[in-house]
This record gives sequence, C-alpha cells and structure tokens, in this order.
Amino acid sequence: MTERGQPGEIVFEEACASYGNFLAMGPISLRVRAGEFLAVVGPSGCGKSTLLNLVAGIMKPSSGRVLYNGKPVDGANRDVGYITQKNYCLPWRTVEANIGLPLEFRGFERDVIDHRVAAAIRQVGLQGFERSYPRQLSGGMLQRVMIARTLAYGPATYLMDEPFGSLDAQLRTRMHAELLRLWQETGSTFVFVTHDLHEAITLADRVVVISRRPGQLKMVLDVDIPRPRDVIDAQSRPEFGAYFKTLWNALDVH
Amino acid sequence: MTRTTDSASPPAAATPAVQTRVADPTHWDRHHIVYLQVLLLIVTLTVWEVTARVFNTGFWTSSPIAVAKALYNWYATGLLIGDLKITLFEAGAGFVLGSVTGGLIGFVLGWVRRLGDLFEPFVLSLYTLPKIALAPLFVLWFGIGVVNKVMFSGLLVFFMVFFTTFQGTRQVDLDLVANARMLGASKLQIWTKIALPYSAVWVFTGLRIGLPYALIGAIVGEFVAADIGVGFRIKEATSFFDTGAVFAGLVLLMGISITLLGILKLIERRTMRWQTAQTQPPESA
Repeated sequence: MTERGQPGEIVFEEACASYGNFLAMGPISLRVRAGEFLAVVGPSGCGKSTLLNLVAGIMKPSSGRVLYNGKPVDGANRDVGYITQKNYCLPWRTVEANIGLPLEFRGFERDVIDHRVAAAIRQVGLQGFERSYPRQLSGGMLQRVMIARTLAYGPATYLMDEPFGSLDAQLRTRMHAELLRLWQETGSTFVFVTHDLHEAITLADRVVVISRRPGQLKMVLDVDIPRPRDVIDAQSRPEFGAYFKTLWNALDVH
Repeated sequence: MTRTTDSASPPAAATPAVQTRVADPTHWDRHHIVYLQVLLLIVTLTVWEVTARVFNTGFWTSSPIAVAKALYNWYATGLLIGDLKITLFEAGAGFVLGSVTGGLIGFVLGWVRRLGDLFEPFVLSLYTLPKIALAPLFVLWFGIGVVNKVMFSGLLVFFMVFFTTFQGTRQVDLDLVANARMLGASKLQIWTKIALPYSAVWVFTGLRIGLPYALIGAIVGEFVAADIGVGFRIKEATSFFDTGAVFAGLVLLMGISITLLGILKLIERRTMRWQTAQTQPPESA
C-alpha cells in the first residue's frame, strides 16, 4: 500500500518496565532490524506483552530508553499496528466501517477509504461480510477484522501479541501462511509475541527468549530456514527440531 | 469500494440461512400464546365482573362495565381530553428535560474520570434518597401549576438516565481508547467516534428505564397539588368513592405508558440496529 513509512527499527536500551514498585521487565537491550520478523517467546507473565506496550507507547519505560526509528517513543505510536487476542471492534460499526476506522482517523478521502477497505477485506478473505456487525461474527473472523483494520492503514511495524491464540489449529496454520505472505508483501517490521515455539520458529527470522519475571533477554536464536517459507515445509525440515530443542531448553520449563 | 457492493460474487454469507417452518417449533407456540393471552384477559374481566355483581363488591373493586362507563362519561363531559393533554405534557416535558440533562451530565461525568470520581459520593447519596419525598418541597419551589409537575417528573427521569449513563460509560474498556489512539484518533475523534456512540447505548437504556418515571412524576405531582390532569382526576374520584372513575384513570395511564414504550422501542430498533442484527451467519471458507 502507498505512502507507508520506513519499516520500523526498534532499539531497546537497558529498558525496564515496572508497575508501581514491581519490576515486570528488564533491563533489556535489543535491536529489532527494520523489516525483520522477530518472534518473542517466554513463560507467561515474563513481560512479553510489556515489550510491545513500550513500542506502542502505551507504557513508558521506568528506566532506559525505547527508540523507534531513532527517536524515543513518546505517547501512542501511530506508526505501529497492534494486534492482540482481544478484539477492539466497535460493536455499532459494520465490518467495513470498523476496518475503515483508522483511515477515518487519519483523515483519508472517502473513496480512498472505500478502496483500501475493500482491498484489506479481500486480503483476509472476509468478502461477503462487509455489512455484518461484529456480534454476528465468530472469534476467528473477528481476528481477521482486526488484521484487516491494521492492513488498511499499512503501518510500518506490526506488533502482534498472540494474535492467533483463540483460533483452532487449522485456522491457525492458514493464518500463519497468510501472515508470511503479508510480511513478504509489505516489507514491514513484525514483532510477534507467542508462547508457541512452533509458531515462533515457523514464522520468524530470529526468536528471542525472555526469562521468568523480571523478564530479561535469555537467548537470541537465528532461524535459518530459507525464505519464502511454506508453513508445513518449514516444520518438516530437520533443523526445525533442533531449533525447538534449543528454545525449549532455554525456556527452562520445569 | 462503493456502497453498493457486489452482493452476487461472495458466498451466501451476510444473510443467515432461513429456518424452515417445520424445524421451528416457536412459530406454532407463538400463535398459541396469543390465543391463551386473549382468553386469559377475557376470563379475568369476566371473573371481575361476576364477582362484583354476585358478591356486591362493586363499591371497592368497581367492575369492567362500570369502568368502561366511567371512561365514557369522562370523555363525554369533555374533561378527558384536557386532563390527558395536561398530564401528557407534564410527563413529556419532564421526560425531555430529565433525559437531556441526565444524558449530558452522565456522559461528561462518565468520561471525565476525575470529575466522576469527585462527584460520585454526592451523586450516590442523592440517588438513594426516595425522590417522592421531595414532592411537597417542589410545590413550595415551583407552585401548584404545570411547572411543578414538569420539574418533578424531570427530576425522576434525570436520575434514571443520569445514573445509567454514568455507570455504563464508566465501564468502558480503556484499552479500547488506547487502541483508538494508536489507530490515529485525535482527542476530538475519540469523543465523537468512540465515546458518544458508546454512551448512546446507555442513554437509551436509561431512557427506557426513565420513561415510566416521567409519568410517575407527573401523577405524583398531581396527587400533591393540582386542579387538572389524570392524576388529579384519580384523586378526586377516590374522594367521592367513585372507584369506577379511579379505575378508568388507571386504565388510561396503562394505555399511555404502553404506547410510549412502544414508540421508544421502535426508535431504538431503528438507531441501534447493530444490537438487534441476527447472529452468526455461517462461517465462510
């Protein structure tokens, strides 16, 4: 899509995050390269989501810095698209009106909005549901609305927090394929938080392992499965098992 | 994309499959229920009429025929229309007054968190006060005319609409607002595209709860002090032991509130289509 900004480069410099006096994460130093697909794994409650919140500008680091394209994140970061398991559809808007929302916010012309919304709907396969209301859709479809809404304004960086956690296995596999295609097409930076190691290895260029709370960097693993990847193919490669084992050991699950 | 999207190409999605008559047992039941309801009404009226005659309790309970006669007499004297007009005006004006102020203040206090926190205990203590107890005071403040009833009816409605809007709006998911900000919403857009529509749902709920109170306010006002209106006529008839006329007044009030609620529901269905839209079209692909 047009007029997208440079893919985001994200730098964490000794970044810590705390809720009150309670240190949830950090210090973490990490550079996410522009256009990279980075997966973040770790035990629940280790601050994986906090990492994304810092980039999105929802939270401020309690110490250290988070730089987005060289500048410290200050307030809501409009260059990113944030997709979580939660559905932020406005129930009184139809699917197409929900997808067009960010474009309305950004002051696009009506016909541009219509055009882009239609394109986004096609990309996630929601044709025929343009006029449906969120409460008429299943969880999987709502998730696709959220993705389409992000696609529509084409952010330079996609932050995803277990976006497919609520989907069944088949749908998940399909979404993985779509996501890979999307990443290839957009050239955007993807930061993908998950607790599913298979998902992480299948999708990412690098997998970051975060330790138990307060979350710290435990391992950064390069995944050398060639691109473009086929989801099933990637998972049946011999090195896949080795990656899985390495990550599993790093996670230190008892 | 134009507003007239190609409805032919996509899978049969947005229109849920029409259920067949045979597979739908509720259709048959619904007819039955209406018959039964009519039957129940007739039986009740008959029992009422018969007991009044047989046991001669008409003085206390009146009877359907006496009530019908009283309604007709009321109409024939020319007082009915005037009473109706006054009471409807009092309730209507009170409803509008209470709804507008209640919705507005509820909206602001609901969204501006600090203001809401500041006022909450005061609002709560006012809310717990039985408002009917204020009726005599309102006579002192606003006299015994129409203004008194409008104000009193407005007060009751205000609290219903205000409280529902205030409480409902406060429940808003703040993540939703943060998300909108990330999507690029300005402060103004958050108000117009998120806050207002979100609160509208609660205002409507408040209106539905508040509507009967508009009538209650007008009637209570007329009970306390008045020389015209349906409530006044009920009270007057009671003092003459004319139970037929009392019941005639009650029947009239019932009719009014049912009609008003019907209108409100119609408006709500029009504007809140997203809430009533049918659920779960078949998952495509």
